[in-house]
Amino acid sequence: MLASCAPGGAQPAQGWSGTVLNNDGILYAASMDGKVVAVNPSTRNLEWSYTIVASSSSSGFMSCGQTSVPTAIYGTPAVDGNLVYIGSYSGKVYALSTSARSQNLPFPQTRNGEWHYPRTNEVIGDIVGSPVVSEDAIYVTSSNGKLYSLGKDFGDLNWESDVLGEKLWTTPVIEGDTIYVSTFDGHIYTLSTETGNLLPVSFEAEVGFVSSPVLYGDIIFVGSFDNKLCAIKIGDNKLLWEFPGGRWFWATPVAKEGVVYAGCLDGKIYAISVETGKELWEFDTESPIVSSPVLMDRIAVVASESGDVYIFDTTTEPKDKVMTPVKTIFVDALIRGSLYCHEGIVYIRAQDNCLYALDIDKGNVSWKLPLTIK
Amino acid sequence: MAELWSLIILNPVLNVLIALSSILSNNFGLAIIALTIIVRLIILPLTLKQLNSTKAMQAMQPKIQELQKKYAKNQQKLQQEMMRVYKEAGMNPLGCVWPMLVQFPVWIALYQSIMKALATTPENLLDLSYHLYSWQVVSQAFPLSSHFLWLDLGGHGDLILAIIVGATMWVQQKMTTAPSLDQRQQSMSNMMLLMMPLMFGLFVLMFPSGLALFWAASNVIGIVIQYFITGGWGYLRFRPSAQAVPATASKRASQKRS
Repeated sequence: MLASCAPGGAQPAQGWSGTVLNNDGILYAASMDGKVVAVNPSTRNLEWSYTIVASSSSSGFMSCGQTSVPTAIYGTPAVDGNLVYIGSYSGKVYALSTSARSQNLPFPQTRNGEWHYPRTNEVIGDIVGSPVVSEDAIYVTSSNGKLYSLGKDFGDLNWESDVLGEKLWTTPVIEGDTIYVSTFDGHIYTLSTETGNLLPVSFEAEVGFVSSPVLYGDIIFVGSFDNKLCAIKIGDNKLLWEFPGGRWFWATPVAKEGVVYAGCLDGKIYAISVETGKELWEFDTESPIVSSPVLMDRIAVVASESGDVYIFDTTTEPKDKVMTPVKTIFVDALIRGSLYCHEGIVYIRAQDNCLYALDIDKGNVSWKLPLTIK
Repeated sequence: MAELWSLIILNPVLNVLIALSSILSNNFGLAIIALTIIVRLIILPLTLKQLNSTKAMQAMQPKIQELQKKYAKNQQKLQQEMMRVYKEAGMNPLGCVWPMLVQFPVWIALYQSIMKALATTPENLLDLSYHLYSWQVVSQAFPLSSHFLWLDLGGHGDLILAIIVGATMWVQQKMTTAPSLDQRQQSMSNMMLLMMPLMFGLFVLMFPSGLALFWAASNVIGIVIQYFITGGWGYLRFRPSAQAVPATASKRASQKRS
């Protein structure tokens, strides 16, 4: 029993939020201490920040009462107009008004459209996936195994799905009036955006899916627990092909122009033909790839967990199926969150709780902004 | 060092645990119990050595208690005499400690494996992937179901499990804790006998239930082994002869004095 006192059993939830640049020119991300931050990349100013706290009694039952601690945030914020949506690991969905937050007004400012769901002290289960915004609703998955549809304006519950799996940590994908969601127990479910009802189109694999799905035409790409990248044809509901990796395809793959780019925890980025499932090229970063690659024009940007960011020219011919990066930029921190690319700059919220801007042309770190505010 | 630890001890234990879960109809609770039994069987020779040493120590208790009584006011002399008695019997009082120390890394690995496999946070799941073998039986085990009987193995604070862990631990300790004539030592033993089960009962409320299940299984297996090795319930009996004799003797002595 004393063995239990030894360290190394479990790691605390810290979060790995991605970044997103809105058309107002402001960059939104979440820090490792539970803050949603808005940064102006031109001035490198922190425009505002809002700390999401969780009422915690888990630390204990021996403590005198409940304590408020900053929550972990894994998803990338979704921005729509004046509102920033985010799901917290403490089980709530937040809509933050950029104007109310920049004035640091008490939350929620309902007249600015702010809300949180559930409105009471209840929670819906830890939220790990990113919120997805459609024209009139926001969709989030929860560790309680359900998918929620909330009204964008007031955070009213439109519907909640049946339990789709023991826990849903993946981000759903919306295409038209259908939502696609992958589960750890090996299902791809499709639901109606209108009602949340399950649609007849579904897929069941023998092994669970570890990554979020991505849609490319009528094909779904998703990583499985048996170290494979699966391509599933939607109409036929059957496996088109599967591509073996050395470890899990944890990061959500991206696809463009007949090629799917998939980062693997074996450290390799694979470029695979969508049509045949054959490998076109690969590159070994020698460190697990946790965050999804991003594509920009003919450039593919891939970050390894150890902090190396590789820039590939996708039009270059690989040598013996091995692609050489045109540039490598080193960020001195672990990278797990999603990257965001805009006008030749890659934005990363790294695990040292700093925001990085990488200049692709110059091949260096343009600036770095610590998000730990004292 | 950490890599070596993972390579030699942690990863094999972790992968066997997950493979067992796959074999046992994706029942992670059963896998924890099965692995606890397997590990207990593997280290049974060490456990037997430890128990035999403890048993031999207990057999010497009347003699030791006599010495404690005789040299109650001279601790130095008492220590010398006890060492002499141990030496004459060809025993090392630390003999029961070494087998326990050797078992320690195995228990640490088992504990870490359970915590890792439960993957209660996304960080844990990501970290887990770095420790897995590419065995199909391992891949097929995912996602590990955290439900077993009434328990959520990744959740905290199950009162029934806390009581089971506390009670089984008390029984296991009581079976091996020899009574002492020394009042101070006896009260210390009594306190330990209560404190440890209480402490681990409280731990159950703070740690994931999967770990508590391992504690409970480990305790029950420990009780079974002790029952068959020491030939019964040991000092758990309400009036064990070893306790009754000195107690009667002490009563007679006090009557004589009065």
